[in-house]
Amino acid sequence: MPRLVAISRTIFSNWTLALGVLLLLAIILMALSAPYVFPGDPYDMVAPALTWPGTMPEVPLGTDSLGRDIAAGIFHGARVSLMVGFIAVCFALVIGILVGSLAGYYGGWVDDVLMRVTELFQTIPQFMLAIVIIAVLGTSIEAVVMSLGIVSWPTVARLVRSEFLILRERAFVHSCLVIGMSDLRIIFTQILPNALSSITVMSSVLMATAILMESALSFLGFGDPNVITWGTMIGMGRGQIRDAWYIIAIPGAALLITALALNLVGEGLNDALNPRLRKREV
Amino acid sequence: MSYLGKRLVHVVLTVLGIAIINFFLLQLAPGDAADVLAGEAGTADPEYLANLRREFGLDQPMLHQLWAFLQRLFMFDFGYSYRHNMPVSTLIFERIPATLILVGSSIAMALVFGILLGVVAARTAGRLPDKLISLASLLFYATPPFWIGLMMIVVFSVKLGWTPTGGMSDIISNKTGLAYVLDVMRHLALPAITQAVFYLAIYTRLVRAGMLEVLSLEYIRVARAKGISENRIAYHHALRNAIFPLITVAGTNLGAFLGGAVLTETVFSWPGVGRLMFDAMFQRDLNLLLSILVLSSIFVVLVNLAVDLLYALINPTVELR
Amino acid sequence: MNGTNLLDIRDLRVSPRGMTETAILRGVTFSVAPGETLAVVGESGCGKSMASLAVMGLLPPGLERRSGDILFRGEPLPVDDNTAMRKVRGRRIGMVFQEPMAALNPVYTIGHQVAEVILEHEDISAAEARLRVVELLREVGLPSPDRIIDEYPHRLSGGQRQRVVIAMALACKPDLLIADEPTTALDVTVQAQIMRLLKRAQNELGIAIILITHNLGLVAQMADRVVVMYAGHKVEEASVQTLFASPQHPYTQGLLRATPRPGRRRAGGKPLEEIPGMVPAITDPPSGCRFRPRCPRATRECETVHPAVRQVGDTIVACHHPGRLEAVQ
Repeated sequence: MPRLVAISRTIFSNWTLALGVLLLLAIILMALSAPYVFPGDPYDMVAPALTWPGTMPEVPLGTDSLGRDIAAGIFHGARVSLMVGFIAVCFALVIGILVGSLAGYYGGWVDDVLMRVTELFQTIPQFMLAIVIIAVLGTSIEAVVMSLGIVSWPTVARLVRSEFLILRERAFVHSCLVIGMSDLRIIFTQILPNALSSITVMSSVLMATAILMESALSFLGFGDPNVITWGTMIGMGRGQIRDAWYIIAIPGAALLITALALNLVGEGLNDALNPRLRKREV
Repeated sequence: MSYLGKRLVHVVLTVLGIAIINFFLLQLAPGDAADVLAGEAGTADPEYLANLRREFGLDQPMLHQLWAFLQRLFMFDFGYSYRHNMPVSTLIFERIPATLILVGSSIAMALVFGILLGVVAARTAGRLPDKLISLASLLFYATPPFWIGLMMIVVFSVKLGWTPTGGMSDIISNKTGLAYVLDVMRHLALPAITQAVFYLAIYTRLVRAGMLEVLSLEYIRVARAKGISENRIAYHHALRNAIFPLITVAGTNLGAFLGGAVLTETVFSWPGVGRLMFDAMFQRDLNLLLSILVLSSIFVVLVNLAVDLLYALINPTVELR
Repeated sequence: MNGTNLLDIRDLRVSPRGMTETAILRGVTFSVAPGETLAVVGESGCGKSMASLAVMGLLPPGLERRSGDILFRGEPLPVDDNTAMRKVRGRRIGMVFQEPMAALNPVYTIGHQVAEVILEHEDISAAEARLRVVELLREVGLPSPDRIIDEYPHRLSGGQRQRVVIAMALACKPDLLIADEPTTALDVTVQAQIMRLLKRAQNELGIAIILITHNLGLVAQMADRVVVMYAGHKVEEASVQTLFASPQHPYTQGLLRATPRPGRRRAGGKPLEEIPGMVPAITDPPSGCRFRPRCPRATRECETVHPAVRQVGDTIVACHHPGRLEAVQ
């Protein structure tokens, strides 16, 4: 309990972090409550087509050209956005941490080879690579997650490597070597925990990027046709851009708020974690 | 080994790596390469397919196939698109100028305004202009660019009628010379801004941080003690030094600009490589998709080489030897 | 303080912005006559650099001049007006800093950076400025000046860079040169060369020098007069002979005892002593005399009353119990 108090004090002494966490909690709540607030299929027609927001109490955010409830789409879309972003980042973290820690810990030719491969993946236009991967694997939610993970891991690898390059020179690592601890144990039980705060900060920004990229893929129609996402909604609303721009505006705003929340959390965490980190080093 | 030699070896290795990744993506695809190369719904003539398999050595071991693949790549032989009824290389090269105009102008816009806003923010650090600029860059960094494009169409094309909704020029009026250039620029405005805003946000933050760091250095104090004006100190002394990281970052962002072009060109029906990729995806023309990916990657590699050389040229502390 | 002084600093107070109770400089007064060398000494953190930055109008952001006048040739310096001060900086007052390795902009040539001062303050062509720069580089003792003028700073050694900085400071023949620890970052042999260079420039150009340092050896060689500062106060001021012969303030005596002095080694070879304790933090100064916690002579009076500046013989001192240490003991 005191720990919880301490955590919430950290959060609220830092308005960036506080705002980010509040926004993020609201979106998570939307995602969790979607099946209860809007139990039906968000693809079902519920009201007259092209109902403007605020004109019908049953559909507060209006309907699209097929009479689908935009509010329902926003709630259900939140599930997909958060889940896809989260899993893709986890995927990227696994590969990135593995590559980055090996490269940073061993250095030498291991580092050279792994970093060349990482650079290679950073050279290839990420979004194009994601499209091609989906083209090869087929348009499914799994393919989207996989493609986002594959294009995101190099960022993780580079960060983890640079952290490892610094941390491996620390005295505590040397003492672990002296007592004969195995390399893998040093990497995962000694160095990695010390790099976690930087990795956490980056993960939240990375998740924002992944969510934006997912929305772009589904906007183009390369997402899973069976799940509704904010990007799909924007893509389907393009036809009505002249007379019903709200169909595009609302899911876009939802995306903006989500990405903003994650960036704020990242920035706030950075402010909150780094000074403490520096103090610990001294 | 000389700096240039090292860089060239790096380039060759990278291109090789790109080709290998591309090759393995082909292997992952359902069916074999011949199906892919012929285009899924192109000609399904079995005799033609058998021919292709022999020609590309698909009956050979994998390493052989990779070698044959590389040979074709270095000959710029990307096969034939039955969808578009022309060689893939011609198809792509035709679309390159439009994409270069779009990507070039958006990078230029992002750099110029990113530098200006970043310098202003750094010089007013902690005060109102800085706070407004930082807030704006935070917002733009979180906004999906294609959505900005769509909302700009709503405002500037639909409501205000200032700009066209898409395309690269008016098809009906057959303009030439300056009129044509102006027409293209009118069409270019929204897509270029759409592409630029996200990076504008990044560059603004980067320049602001860089300027703040440089402005705290000793040689800035020395310059002040010489009686140099604050404007000259900011733009002549500090910016020249703060800009180096920006050059590197902008170089590595080129790939992201090309990827973004798929979205922007689709939103604004801009007849470039990105739009071609979108069409190829819809037609499941995997060979065309892969060819675009490979060519774009090679382009990124070459431009990054040029950026590195430029960096070494303008930064006297890097010795070109 | 009479009208013939080049620089007069009167009761200068400098504080962090918005903090009225703390201060970096707490009423500092001293002056510099034309052509003389004034040394300002003290440990790091005693405020000696701040006084010179205040003169240049270059206090770091967050610090401000709370009160006090700074007169240059009898006229108040417009230290709060950046545009007006620009005409003074580099032209009337030159400045040399502590870190020659960081003092030059890495992306411009030596020639560009020296010529910049001249072009800023004088109405001459770039070609004329270049000739002047070559001459200046020769005068500050740089080898093959016509080649080095087109070099970038990273090709030069620390001592060479400090010569370039001195060339920039002297380029417009100023009346006053402020040298803030000009040799601290350099090798001992280079230190001597740089000090000789400053001395020669002073003789040739007739400029006054404020030498800020913690090195009493340099003071003995260079200075005409010495101001000793402690925790934002001037604690002692005297001619260099008087100060070394009969230091009045216990802090000055402590500094001297902590400094090896050639030719004045006492019989029995008494070891160097350091002053116990540390300079107090500006946010938490002791009551009464700032030096009291470290002072061997502190009394009840020192705890409550801050000592005023007074004249003792030829020395100006701020101490309740001035005088030779031996006499007190």
